[in-house]
Amino acid sequence: MNRVFKALSDPTRRRVLQLLRERPMSAGELSDHFPVSKPTMSAHFAVLQEADLIEAEKTGRTILYRLKMSVLEDALLGFAQTLGWEMKKKQRPIKGEA
Amino acid sequence: MKIQLAPALLFASSVLAAWNWILRPERALAWTATLLFIGCMAAALFVTSRRANNAAEPIRNAVVFAGMMLAVALGAKLVTPLGGPETAEISRRTTMILLGFCMAMSGNMMPKTLTPLSALQCDPARIQAFQRFAGWTWVLSGLSFSLAWLVLPLALARPVSMVLLICGMVLIASQMVRLRFMRQKKA
Repeated sequence: MNRVFKALSDPTRRRVLQLLRERPMSAGELSDHFPVSKPTMSAHFAVLQEADLIEAEKTGRTILYRLKMSVLEDALLGFAQTLGWEMKKKQRPIKGEA
Repeated sequence: MKIQLAPALLFASSVLAAWNWILRPERALAWTATLLFIGCMAAALFVTSRRANNAAEPIRNAVVFAGMMLAVALGAKLVTPLGGPETAEISRRTTMILLGFCMAMSGNMMPKTLTPLSALQCDPARIQAFQRFAGWTWVLSGLSFSLAWLVLPLALARPVSMVLLICGMVLIASQMVRLRFMRQKKA
């Protein structure tokens, strides 16, 4: 559960999850929504995968990311969005972030 | 944890069934059927325990759920013959509250069960939307089902919980039909 809280504590990762709510997306499509480098985005994807909130699946030459959240985790994401400003203060830059 | 929990619950249920049999021998047929049922579950658990962990998981979960329900019901049945107050209502309420929680737990995991993209015959976005909708509906149905049995009088709890359950099922089924219709339209 700690991994889930860690994953949800970052606004970028929360935004990734929100985008994936609409439909599965490739890493490139997701990265286009953020003004950060690709290695930083990869690090975010790794944290989300480690928390078992998303799943990567290779289709042809692209890797598609899909949402893999239970109802409880979905509700937690909603709470984290509401209380996002509090978590933002405590957030530290992740490895690889400029 | 569940590996130990499932046999422990089966053992506890067997002991409680045997104790009930001693105290109320006139209902021997019911206790025999209960013990046979427990035996079947133990056999299923033994057979699946030899398989890979992933394949045995659903069986173990089902045995834990059934063992929990049996232990609660058989334990409550023991209270009255042992000189305690009449517990038929408490027993029924507890069983139904547990059933509601189990529904909520199964609904919680619905959106997490993913089918490989290559095996999908429909738009993955639509399947994901359906799974999220079904999960939320089933969780809310389960929790409201439990709440109804917790707070409402027994005479009212039964119809209200059934209506809640049917509403959840109808909502999920209508969403499923909508998904199928949209697929046919696209094709």
